[in-house]
Amino acid sequence: MDKIELKNLLFLSRIGAKEEDYPKIIEKLKTTFGMIDQMNELDLDQFEPLNNPLELTNVSRADSEDDRNSKKEFLAESPKSDDDFFVVPKIVE
Amino acid sequence: MNFKDIRERFRNKEISAKELTKDSLDKAHKYSNLNAFISTFDEDALKKAEYIDNNFNDYKDLALGGIPIAHKDIFCTKGKRTTCASKMLENFTPPYESTVTSNCHQAGSIMIGKTNMDEFAMGSSNETSFFGPVINPWGESLVPGGSSGGSAASVAADITSLATGTDTGGSIRQPAALCGITGLKPTYGLVSRWGMIAFCSSMDQAGPFARDAFGCAALLDAMASYDAKDSTSAQRDKVKYEDALRGDVGNLKIGILRDIDQLGISEEILKAYENSKTVLEKQGHSFVELDFSELSSGICSYYVIAPAECSSNLARFDGVKYGHRSDSSNISELYLQTRSEGFGEEVRKRILIGTYVLSAGFYDAYYRKAQKVRRMMKSKFDEFFKSVDLVFLPTTLDQAFEMNRTSSDPNRMYKEDLLTIPANLAGLPAISFPNGLANELPIGAQFVGNYFSEDLLLNITHKLQEVTDWHKIKP
Repeated sequence: MDKIELKNLLFLSRIGAKEEDYPKIIEKLKTTFGMIDQMNELDLDQFEPLNNPLELTNVSRADSEDDRNSKKEFLAESPKSDDDFFVVPKIVE
Repeated sequence: MNFKDIRERFRNKEISAKELTKDSLDKAHKYSNLNAFISTFDEDALKKAEYIDNNFNDYKDLALGGIPIAHKDIFCTKGKRTTCASKMLENFTPPYESTVTSNCHQAGSIMIGKTNMDEFAMGSSNETSFFGPVINPWGESLVPGGSSGGSAASVAADITSLATGTDTGGSIRQPAALCGITGLKPTYGLVSRWGMIAFCSSMDQAGPFARDAFGCAALLDAMASYDAKDSTSAQRDKVKYEDALRGDVGNLKIGILRDIDQLGISEEILKAYENSKTVLEKQGHSFVELDFSELSSGICSYYVIAPAECSSNLARFDGVKYGHRSDSSNISELYLQTRSEGFGEEVRKRILIGTYVLSAGFYDAYYRKAQKVRRMMKSKFDEFFKSVDLVFLPTTLDQAFEMNRTSSDPNRMYKEDLLTIPANLAGLPAISFPNGLANELPIGAQFVGNYFSEDLLLNITHKLQEVTDWHKIKP
């Protein structure tokens, strides 16, 4: 991983970092991938990928109304809200 | 006092719920140096205890009637701060209740507080918490394990007789081993994940801590339920785990690992393991050697899948709907600053790893391959359970270790989970219990069982604890 790759990765992750810290971050990620790369020694051709241990299929429930998602309660947890809306910085110039 | 004695005394009216609650709260404050709690709810807990005492007949027969309990601060509690030990949720008050805490309330327990943990459950030493590390009650410079370190410390220090935790890669069993108590990770799907802040949704599973298997059985009775609100909740007939402890376990075939001494497990832990095997043999069980040479590859798979799911789950924290927000006049900057300030270093690192392994060029090389390793692990256990009833192995490589040890070798912390991760990848239940003492510190061992064999796991541990005293030794 080089600095450009890390910069892209940081942007995709919406995580910020100072450029002077890049070498330290790259080193840490390399150490972890060094451990993960041991997977490459395995012969996995016979195995299908496994997403979920019980291989459950999603269940659905009735699309019925309840009072759980009260707008007022949920908006109250927003760092910034105005009447019925979440407030964010201006997006369209 | 352990859970069984406390409940007996409450039921016999020898002690009131209020006295029990006051005692727990007093201890929580007295041992505040442990940093086991992020919040305590003194007034509400005492009020509920008083209500229970005034309505004694309605509560005396409930599984957890009148019993103070500590919940890991990962479970949403309506109207009560839930932080996941992160600056991101430092001031978050959920508008709804998790199924686990709701089930525990309904079973008559009294929540005295929410326990400290590794931030977003990412860690094995409880050092990544925004609220500072938890101290192991066995030594002030020692870690309690993680990520459910506060819950384990609460039970080990006798603050509460019961606590809840979550286990994604060993986060119940490893702290249970390091703190000298019993902890169970149930089969994936047995306990609802509704209202439990998500880290790695395909592995996260909540479970109980107690001093012994009896307490774990009672708490699991309360926690486990089918829940339509969790799409991976298992629909099964309700088992009464406490009743299952009365039955005979019979003569079991127990799987043990060939070449276990090649895994880097400490001499003391291997010695305790051998001693436990002798006790099990005396109880009529026999051993079958298993070849599990693939065990070590579990870590590689886990540290791809867990960060991948973490990067996806934690994408919701953007400073708009809830949680920490960094003020900015630009939306892109707002996201970036909010997430950089709100997440700690370990969480940021795992998000980066997860984003990397899910990105277009690396999906097959990492994520798909890790899922294949996961299948291999499950197939291996499926094969084992054709010839054995349980697998028995130590819980950890080492006993409780000094704080800051992991900073010099970042992968060392990940290796802490070597023996616990396989059960998470396969979604199997496993119980860790104290099985020795060395250097004045506890040692833990674990049984891994087939799917939904919690009754057997609890019962064999209970039978072992009837003839041994390791679970009674306190710091």
